[in-house]
Amino acid sequence: MIETLLSLPLVLPPTAVGLVLLDALGRNSPLGGLLASRGIQVVFTWKAVVLAMAVMSFPLLVRSARTAFEEVDPRLVGLARTLGCGPVAAFRRVTLPLAWRGLLAGVVLAFSRALGEFGATVMIAGNIPGRTQTLALAIFHENQLGHDDRALALAGVTTLIAFAALWTAEWFTRQRTRRTAA
Amino acid sequence: MIELELELPLASFELRVAARLEGGVTAVMGPSGAGKTSLLEAIAGLRRGVRGRLALDGRVLLDSAAGAALPPEARQIGYVPQDAGLFPHLTARDNVRFGARADAAAVAGAVATLEIGGLLERRPGSLSGGEKQRVALARALATRPRLLLLDEPLAALDVGLRERILPYLLRVRDEWKTPVLYVTHNVGEALALSSRVLLLRAGRVEAVGPPFDLLATTGMAHAAEAGVENLFSGRVRAHDVEGGVTIVEVPARQGLTVPLAPERDIGSQVTVAVRAEDVIVARRAPEGLSARNLFEVRIATVARSGADVTLRCSPATSQPTPEWIVRVTPSAAASLGLAAGQTVFLAVKSHSFRLL
Repeated sequence: MIETLLSLPLVLPPTAVGLVLLDALGRNSPLGGLLASRGIQVVFTWKAVVLAMAVMSFPLLVRSARTAFEEVDPRLVGLARTLGCGPVAAFRRVTLPLAWRGLLAGVVLAFSRALGEFGATVMIAGNIPGRTQTLALAIFHENQLGHDDRALALAGVTTLIAFAALWTAEWFTRQRTRRTAA
Repeated sequence: MIELELELPLASFELRVAARLEGGVTAVMGPSGAGKTSLLEAIAGLRRGVRGRLALDGRVLLDSAAGAALPPEARQIGYVPQDAGLFPHLTARDNVRFGARADAAAVAGAVATLEIGGLLERRPGSLSGGEKQRVALARALATRPRLLLLDEPLAALDVGLRERILPYLLRVRDEWKTPVLYVTHNVGEALALSSRVLLLRAGRVEAVGPPFDLLATTGMAHAAEAGVENLFSGRVRAHDVEGGVTIVEVPARQGLTVPLAPERDIGSQVTVAVRAEDVIVARRAPEGLSARNLFEVRIATVARSGADVTLRCSPATSQPTPEWIVRVTPSAAASLGLAAGQTVFLAVKSHSFRLL
């Protein structure tokens, strides 16, 4: 049930998710009103960008984390228990190190989803240059204004960032594999 | 003393085991699917839904009627599964040191007993099956367990490797004095290692008793698989290079003449094995025999097991142990008129003895 709810943003059009968030956090909603009365403004600020990215990419992180944990042999955890580890210690010393690679893959996946996030962001955070304009939004913006060269440059920057993230993850995984195989 | 009174529903039947087991090695035997692994996991605390009572040397680990159940980490029971279950992300050293109660002295002792000093920097992925088993045994021993559960520690190994692990199990039994529950399909191993057999069938205890006494029961015959029935620990006394033999001194027994093994140092500890069917029985002292080993023994018991007759013999010179397990055909037993109480001679060719 919770899993299904969390996964909804994966299936829904991002603009629909953005709209729901906008309605939930706008000044006229109970939650938005409460936050506004404490001087916290979410909608159309950088906070909205973070929120939109988190909501859209979190399901990917949860799903890959779950797979990563499920792939750890439960008998190894049981053995750790017979060796005197409590449940928390067994998780920290066996489950976590063995699921580590899958968790990292999930983080990279979530990061790339956040990098490309467009629909939900544009709904809830708008497209305010210098304040809520993400790389993905800026590329679209420049292209609409006819500045194809600037849009291309931004696409280049995005590519670099994505490449660096993937390469780092790959490097970590390799280190790990080499150590395990050694 | 292990007091067991456990009930655990399994997929096709309910496991119900009630037994009181003294220290030493107890071999848990029975056909596949009899509930042997489930029993071990229930004792270790790795199964949910176990009802009944479990006490180890008077310390209650489980009493479901009183609502008491210690979690596995509080039971102080070492468990070695069939595939060793080493942590793949840790070196052998970190595996052995893993246990919460594994202090430096216990770790050093376990490493010495299992002779894994040279393997400590390696990861499980690069260890052979036998090496993995030794590291897993050391990991369990290093926590100074009050009970050791071994789930077919040799089953995944080929025959040669199996025999090389056996001496380590003997050392665990004799040097650490830890009570052991040992799942095996191999009657020879049970005879060589265990003081008693717990025979399971479809979740129930079919029999408990000394391995030799159970040889004739159908369950044992069913589980039967030839092995190394006779295991002797001793020290290398001398090498006779010319004669092509090595002499091994075994306590309470004359020297054993085995095939020349110059790679074993004089004085080093070795284990000698011989199959029960490779021992020749003679009613009178034979002469002009090529077999280099001749022992005068007394037949203690004669048991019919399956298609064979199995004899248990004690040295004639009145030491209670060690014993010989000898297997002959019914025809041989009949023509020699073998019966309990007789004094006979056992002959073993040097090449029937194997140095493990």
